[in-house]
Amino acid sequence: MKILEIIPSRENCVEAGWYAYDYLLAAPVDKALVDLLRPLGSMTYLGMLRRPFFKIDTAEYSIKGIEGNDFFRIAVDDQRRECLDRINAFLEAADWPAAGR
Amino acid sequence: MIYLNQAATSWPKPESVLAAYEQAVRALPSSQFRSSAGDDDAAGKTRQALGQLLGIRDTGRIFFSSGATDSANAIIYGLPFEGHRIFATETEHNSVLRPLVNLLEPVYGPQTGDVRIIPCDETGYVAPEAVARALDVIAEPSVVFVNHMSNVTGRIQDLAAISRAVHEAGAILIVDAAQSAGCVPVCADEWGIDVLILTGHKSLYGMQGTGAYYVRDGIPFRPYRYGGTGRDSRKLYYRDDQPDAYEYEVGTQNGPGIAALGAGVRYCLERGVDAIAEHERGLMTVCSRELRKIPGVKVYGWPEGKESDYGPVLSFNIGGMKAGDVAYILQNAYGIIVRAGLQCAPLIHQEMGTYADGTVRVSVSDMNVMSEIEALVRAVREIAESVPNPDAGPAAGSDDRSAAGAAAKGGRL
Repeated sequence: MKILEIIPSRENCVEAGWYAYDYLLAAPVDKALVDLLRPLGSMTYLGMLRRPFFKIDTAEYSIKGIEGNDFFRIAVDDQRRECLDRINAFLEAADWPAAGR
Repeated sequence: MIYLNQAATSWPKPESVLAAYEQAVRALPSSQFRSSAGDDDAAGKTRQALGQLLGIRDTGRIFFSSGATDSANAIIYGLPFEGHRIFATETEHNSVLRPLVNLLEPVYGPQTGDVRIIPCDETGYVAPEAVARALDVIAEPSVVFVNHMSNVTGRIQDLAAISRAVHEAGAILIVDAAQSAGCVPVCADEWGIDVLILTGHKSLYGMQGTGAYYVRDGIPFRPYRYGGTGRDSRKLYYRDDQPDAYEYEVGTQNGPGIAALGAGVRYCLERGVDAIAEHERGLMTVCSRELRKIPGVKVYGWPEGKESDYGPVLSFNIGGMKAGDVAYILQNAYGIIVRAGLQCAPLIHQEMGTYADGTVRVSVSDMNVMSEIEALVRAVREIAESVPNPDAGPAAGSDDRSAAGAAAKGGRL
């Protein structure tokens, strides 16, 4: 199981009209997983940090996480929550790196 | 974990607060003759302590609530605003702004509901002269809402001077001290504050869901809720021509919360607000000075030499990064909890040029120590150094004013 659970984030930004979900993983985020997610949008990667940060932006959603953490977060515009289905389908079909399996 | 989000809710609480709460929960509830009027029960003692801390002699006019939002709603519903012009500063929190813009117009019509906004500068300072100017051109009786201390920049208002301007115009002064009470001196009687809004869970070290408000004797005021009080159960109707008979604390009160709030206020009294302010200002002075040294970091307010104008809150941004991302990295890579966004105070961000993405807010309490600030500064430096082009991007200041302008229809003065 690559994704153990999807839970509403404690840090929901409902105030700004965005809803956030934490994707709990079987193994920590690593660079291979970040690369796997790259097709999902415009990537920002701060590789100089001791624990690199990545973020993927589109108009509909934003994905962010920290390498070494066992989760990443997806925030989605309240009006476009259906895009989560597309993201989830992509994640299901993706060829996950070994660490994420 | 390092907790630097004290302006949201203080944590940890003093041991005396936890003990008072536990003791109240374990104690036998009050008898069939429910009382909340005496000075020797938990509510009475908490009222006395609040009066001592905030410079209020008439503690019988302090009423408990569930927090600042509840207090603001009680006041906005309960004061007779008919025919008044309502002013609020640009630094107000949504706990005041939202009830103002949503409650007034349906009750009193468009003129009173047309809230007028008194501007602040980019640090959150509201000039008393700006208040005087705003009131000078208004013929109707007026009410002015002032946030004592910004929950975004920490800027403290000169309430004594603002009070003079307000009262020279014959207006009523309503002060939101949610952020300042406990960490900044408040002298309600001396400054001539007519109405004071408080919350319990910030610098008063109480629990979430507790708060209070004070309404000076002589200010017409009626309850916005009615219900059981434990007294005179045969009485069903309250009459406007007998205002002394009004009861403002209805329903079963949050006894354990009020007891804990009392312990928190006594902590502030015993420690001394000046001593608390000195400790917190020491932390924030280092924080602002060291953050400012980092290339690409912009600190809002807190100019060197003017630290005494600020309470224990500051905002910053890193060029090229969104505030929400900085806060995410701080929490999830460094274990440092701050707050990002507009902090429920949208209008001040117009002046700061941060309306689009907000800021990263750092706030401390008496429980924080210098090593935690040093850890924050190290983390921010590492994040800023990792940004490819720190001079570009959202932190340089987006300035979308349209939505906030619509929030306060009366417009900016």
